[in-house]
Amino acid sequence: MNSSNWIWRSVSIISAAATLLLIAGFVYAIQDVNYPQRAQGAGDLAESVKPPKGTSNDAIQDKKELKVAALGDSLAKGTGDSTGSGFVRRSVQEYSKDTGKKVTLLNNLGINGLTTTALLPKLEEQGTQYVLAKADVILLSIGGNDLFRGADLFTSVKNTSPNESSSSAVKKDSEVSKTSTQAKVQEIKPEDILKALPQASLKLQKILVKLREINPNAVIIYVGLYNPFGDLEQLKIPGNEAVTTWNNAALSLINKNGNMMLVPTFDLFQQNLNKYLSSDHFHPNGDGYQQIAERIVQSIR
Amino acid sequence: MSSLIPLVKNETIKIIKKKRFYVILLILLVLVPIFTYAQMRSAEHSREKFNGDWRLETQQQITDNENSLGSDRVPDEWKKFRKIIVQQLQYYLDHDVNPKEPNGVTFTREFMNNSVSLFIPLLIMAIASDIVSSERTTGTIKMLLTRPVKRWKVLLSKLITLIMFTSLIVLSTFVITYAISGLVFGYKGFDIPVFTGFQISGSDVDMSAVHAVPQWEYILMQSGLIWFVSLTVAILAFMVSVLVRSTAASIVVMMAALIAGSILTNMAAAWNSAKYLFMVNLQLTDYLSGTPAPIEGMNLTFSLIVLSIWAIAAIIVSFAVFTKRDILN
Repeated sequence: MNSSNWIWRSVSIISAAATLLLIAGFVYAIQDVNYPQRAQGAGDLAESVKPPKGTSNDAIQDKKELKVAALGDSLAKGTGDSTGSGFVRRSVQEYSKDTGKKVTLLNNLGINGLTTTALLPKLEEQGTQYVLAKADVILLSIGGNDLFRGADLFTSVKNTSPNESSSSAVKKDSEVSKTSTQAKVQEIKPEDILKALPQASLKLQKILVKLREINPNAVIIYVGLYNPFGDLEQLKIPGNEAVTTWNNAALSLINKNGNMMLVPTFDLFQQNLNKYLSSDHFHPNGDGYQQIAERIVQSIR
Repeated sequence: MSSLIPLVKNETIKIIKKKRFYVILLILLVLVPIFTYAQMRSAEHSREKFNGDWRLETQQQITDNENSLGSDRVPDEWKKFRKIIVQQLQYYLDHDVNPKEPNGVTFTREFMNNSVSLFIPLLIMAIASDIVSSERTTGTIKMLLTRPVKRWKVLLSKLITLIMFTSLIVLSTFVITYAISGLVFGYKGFDIPVFTGFQISGSDVDMSAVHAVPQWEYILMQSGLIWFVSLTVAILAFMVSVLVRSTAASIVVMMAALIAGSILTNMAAAWNSAKYLFMVNLQLTDYLSGTPAPIEGMNLTFSLIVLSIWAIAAIIVSFAVFTKRDILN
């Protein structure tokens, strides 16, 4: 009976203590959820540690280790590449294969459908700034959605999010939307594409200035636009014209800063749309991204 | 009252001597290392990918969630959920606080969060489902009731014992999880700030009430809520144990209810009145962390009321049935 007494005494004492503690926690939790003490402490924490600004000023070629960050629209994300790599991962791989250096991709911040308008507020965010400030190379792809969305002919294709479409049933889907795009394209006046240009290039300038402010030393590589409609009679010439105008505008912005460059893709796709475009007829496929990646690597070799 | 304490003592000794409680401790000692190992592997994985920089990882998580917002293939409720996650993660980044600082305390917090609706109730059931029905399976109930004690006192003593062990189980889950995960992740982390007070309205998060609490305070609150959930589950299992003759059957009934609950919480957004079921309301800790409730219109007070009503009803049913029933066979 002695052991029973001992069991009873220890179990009852521990469980009573535990119950009291848990009840206290329970009451505290109800109070905290229902009547939160306003912003106690949260303000004190706000003084966040700024990441060390910029990386060393050495030229890219001299660095032993390279950190890459990518930013922008679906092209940066790699939409259309069935392997999911996109030009970002591909150029990271190519570059490290090419030079034997350790190249790390910090973050790929590409978001489908991003326009210059939507990118600007993102640059104010702490997390984005932190990533960008750490990078040696910043890959930027933006503007495509401003240009072609401004003319509003891309909404139908965009919605099918081709990176997820792998089954044959889904493929059929994008087939359908492709034809509907083509139908839509007929009604588009080519001038509409040009209309979005001045606004967008102004925003691009702001983006580049902001990027430079966040990271004064990184090499910023802007991926130029191509014309995905080069094989459509009505849009070939005006599309080319719009894309070229945009690329020229971008280039003249970029040329004002020594450590930025534009990697052209226009010529890559001009005659090779069937080869390099994915089934959504807008984004590059794996091969297309590979070509872009090789260009990028060539520019910083 | 004087006759009650010996009865509770008797029940307590029975549970300890029948090794029920040891089984629960054993389950914890086997399972927690497995979860710890899994967590360690995933931490290693992300360290490889992001060089151990949580800011990069969090930012990538935000970007990935934002990307899925654009897809029409993602259901609207998920989008709402992800929008909320994005805003919360952004808040952590803006205040330079790692939402998943790897240490034993954070692991314990996350683990308890995930186990509140299924794992801990399961442990509770190991004792609760058995406490009355086993006496009937073995026939010892007759001996118990031939004593000169009122029937309701016998049942009440069992209920009190059950509550005692519920507290013990919640406590030992915390202690064991912390002790084991601490071996791998380190025992520090009680002072790390955790944000709570995210008020969710629609797909927006009201940040005005968000405040930081040290992690130990958070865990205290969390354990209080888990205790309440466990108590409700214990009382319901207790009722089933009174109603059903065999222990196995009473465990199956409770398991079915709990599993139904975890399925419903994942898909019940369209069925609004499901929120009155107890098993949909078990994730009380979500209100603390700011995870949106599975069904529109649920909040902490609502869930507490629903759980209390179920528990009180269960107690009434248990006592009514136990005092009136013929126990001869």
